[in-house]
Formats: sequence, C-alpha cells, structure tokens
Amino acid sequence: MSSIVAPPPTAQAERTHPRRHNLDQLICWWTIPIFYNIFGLIFVVLTRVMPPPRPDVGPQEIVAFFAQHGLTIKIGFALLMFFVGFTAVANGLIAHQIKRMSVAPVLAYGYITALAVGAIPGCLFAAFAFLAAALRPDRDPQHIALLYDLGLLSFVGSLGCFVAQNFVLAMAIFLDKNEILPKWLAYMSIWMIVTELLAGPVFIFTSGPLAWNGSISFWLGTAVFVVWEFCIIKLLYTAITSQPPGERVQD
Amino acid sequence: MDTRAQSISLWITPFFGVILLLCFTAFPGFWPPIPPDMTAEQVAAFYDENRAMVRFSMITFNLCAIMLVPFFMVVVVQIKRTASHVLAYSYLAAIATGATLFAIADIFWLVAAFRPERDPELVLLLNDLAWMIFVAPVGMLVVQNLCLALAILLDDRAKPVFPRWVAYFSIATAVAMTPAVCAVAVTSGPLAWDGAISFWLRFSAFGLNIVVLFVVLLGVVRRQRDEQTATEASSSSAQPEPVS
Repeated sequence: MSSIVAPPPTAQAERTHPRRHNLDQLICWWTIPIFYNIFGLIFVVLTRVMPPPRPDVGPQEIVAFFAQHGLTIKIGFALLMFFVGFTAVANGLIAHQIKRMSVAPVLAYGYITALAVGAIPGCLFAAFAFLAAALRPDRDPQHIALLYDLGLLSFVGSLGCFVAQNFVLAMAIFLDKNEILPKWLAYMSIWMIVTELLAGPVFIFTSGPLAWNGSISFWLGTAVFVVWEFCIIKLLYTAITSQPPGERVQD
Repeated sequence: MDTRAQSISLWITPFFGVILLLCFTAFPGFWPPIPPDMTAEQVAAFYDENRAMVRFSMITFNLCAIMLVPFFMVVVVQIKRTASHVLAYSYLAAIATGATLFAIADIFWLVAAFRPERDPELVLLLNDLAWMIFVAPVGMLVVQNLCLALAILLDDRAKPVFPRWVAYFSIATAVAMTPAVCAVAVTSGPLAWDGAISFWLRFSAFGLNIVVLFVVLLGVVRRQRDEQTATEASSSSAQPEPVS
C-alpha cells in the first residue's frame, strides 16, 4: 500500500496564501537540537545528574552533595520545568513520521503514549526528588538520602517506557515500505532496548559496572543514546524535507 | 463525521469546571496558599486542623480533574483540521504528561493528610512535593498553548478553523504561566509557590484559558457541523435519491 497519492486539485485552490511546505514540521524539528543542548546544560552542568554521583555513599556525603550543588540544582531544574514541554514536540514529530509509513497508526500512537508516560519517571520525577532535597538542606539526612536514591533510580532506571518507545519505532521502520527512515535506525533502536535491559541491575548494585553510575548501566547506555539521538535528528530532517508536497498521510 | 462526541466533550467541561472551581475554593491550603517557609510543625498542624476539607477537596479534585482531558482532545481534533498533524500529536502528548503531573500532586496532598501521627518532617516533605509538582512544571501547558498558536497561525484554509486572535491569546497564556517555573527555586516573594505570579497569575491564566477556549470551540465545532451539512447536501443533490 502506498500512502502517497496526488493532491486533489481543489485542495490547493482553497488555500488563500499557501504556506511554506511542511513549515509546521520544520519548526518542530528545530526545537529538537536546541532543546537537547539545553537538556545537556541542565543535566550535566547544572544539576549534576549526568554523569550520576555515586550510589555507594552515606547520608552525610549525600547531604554534602546537595549543600554543594543546591543552587545549581534549583536553577537547572527550574529551567527543566519549562523546557521539558518540548519533549512533547519531538514526540509528536516522530509519531507523525511513523504515520507516513505503510504501517497501522498503532505504532505511532504507541510511540506517543510510551514517551508521554516516560517523561514523568524518566525525567520530571528525578527533578522533584532532587528539588525537595535541595529546598531544605536541614531535613533529616535519612530523608535526603531517600530523595537522592529516588531521584537517581527513577532517572537512570525508568526502563520500560523507553523499551516500548524503541520497540514500536523499530517495528514501524522494519515493516515500512515507503522508506521514511532507514532500516539501520531500527537496528540502532534495538541496541537502545539492549541498553535498557543492561540498566535493569541498577536497582540491585550500589557499585561496579552495573550500578547507576556504572560503565555498563550508565556509560554504555548514554553513549548509545547520544549516537541514536544525533542520527534521528539528522534522519528526521531528511524525512521532512523529502516529503512531497500534498502527500496524503493516513488520518 | 458526526460532531456529537465533540459537543458532549465540550459540554461536560462547564459541569466539571464548576466542580473544580468549588474544590479550589474548598481547599484550605489555597486560602492563602501554604507558604514554603512554614516549619514542619506548622505544616503538620495545618493538616491536623483542616484534615476533613483537605480530604474532601483533594478527593473531589482526584475524581474530576482528569475529566478535562476530553475537552483538550477536542482541541487536538480541531488542530488536525487545520492540517497540522504534528502539532495535534504534540498537543496530545503534552496533555497526557501534564494531566499526570496534576494527578500525582493530588496524591501527595492526600498522603500528607492520611496519618495524623506521621513524623512532621515527612508531612513537610509530602507537602513540599505536592506544591512543587502542582505549581512549577508548566512546560507542558506552555507547549500545548504554543502548538495551538502555531497551528492557527499556519492555517491557510480559506475559512480558518480557529479565529486568528486565539493564537495570540494562547501565546499570552503561555507567557503568563512561564514564570511559575521559579517556584522550585525561590521560597519568598511573588515567584514562590504561594506568590502572586507563580500561584495566582498561573492558575488564573489556566482558568481563563479554559473558559475562553470553551466558548471558541463551541463556535469551531458548530462551523464544522455546518460545513459538513452543506457538503452532504451538495453531494446528495448531485446524486438525487428517490423521495420517500
């Protein structure tokens, strides 16, 4: 089945001032590279969630961590409260490109839902746990330590949302005959699923390669994610700009 | 396509809107908003004194707040009619995450009120989490408004789906809500979670946005129905059916 058909001649006639082809998608696309840079600033530079601080420390060291980084945690996560909204745009853009593929919309809707869920445990919940700790450094050190674990485990250990996201994306690309995204991206998405599986042990280990700051659970997963993100940003741009004007996308 | 589902989704909104407004009025923690600089003992005492009303208002919020979702889905359907699928999906994703955040904040308030004997330090922690999650994460609301605005500005149909001023109104709503992000970093003044900007301006803008969008959408859905009736009439006159 091909979803590409010629535009009905009247459709163009109804437009009063034809806008630039795919302008909505191009604007959405531009938010992605911009906001991933801001996410980098927030998580790496300001809030120190990436690379994650050590799991094998006691309450006193954890209190000291929040005392040292409290101000930048507040500034960074205040920025996140605004910029996290743009994950919805990236999400919508990829879902729309999946709908251009010769597959049922199931996979596009699955993609939206998996990431709409994932935004909370995988991103915002970690922020609130850290913020609650940074808000009152005089809390009971045991409570601060609880918030530290809650924040880092939900950030590194929100696995299933991203497994489902990569599963529906990979399946859509494999089944697609319209060649919207290349097949090798589907193999990369399967590697993303593997890294989520490898991050499962963060809930068990407090040190070593499988802990939340470990070489396998954190660094390998992050390295694969960064490469995947670069690739999909580039490939989405190609997909948008090569979309023929007037192409009909299934409703 | 029949527009009845959209009309029902619209008309349940004033009903649930009034209930939510009553909850907002009934929650003692909003009159005035619980300030961030209260001590653990003061916060625990607040829940002791107001336990019944906290439970009444937050259980009702819990039951009714997500009933606004069908209303926002009417916006999604109408953004799709402007021909921007990508903005419709982005709007939908933003609503899903934004609604979940409210549901979580509500639970934290109810857990804070649950056991009178709980350590006041933990009541304070639950109260902090409820307030920050309720007030600060406006990114999803900002982005949904920007998506709607962009869809309206790019709508080049001869008869646009939305009136153009709705785009500027949505942008104004987004701008009014944005400063509330400071509620996670500032504990006094207008930007704190109990402040004039982070609390009152943010929630007034949200309420006004729903009222205005409700009125606008009534017209949008009515015009869609009229257009469809006209199309059906012209297509049935082209193929005359036997008069019964």
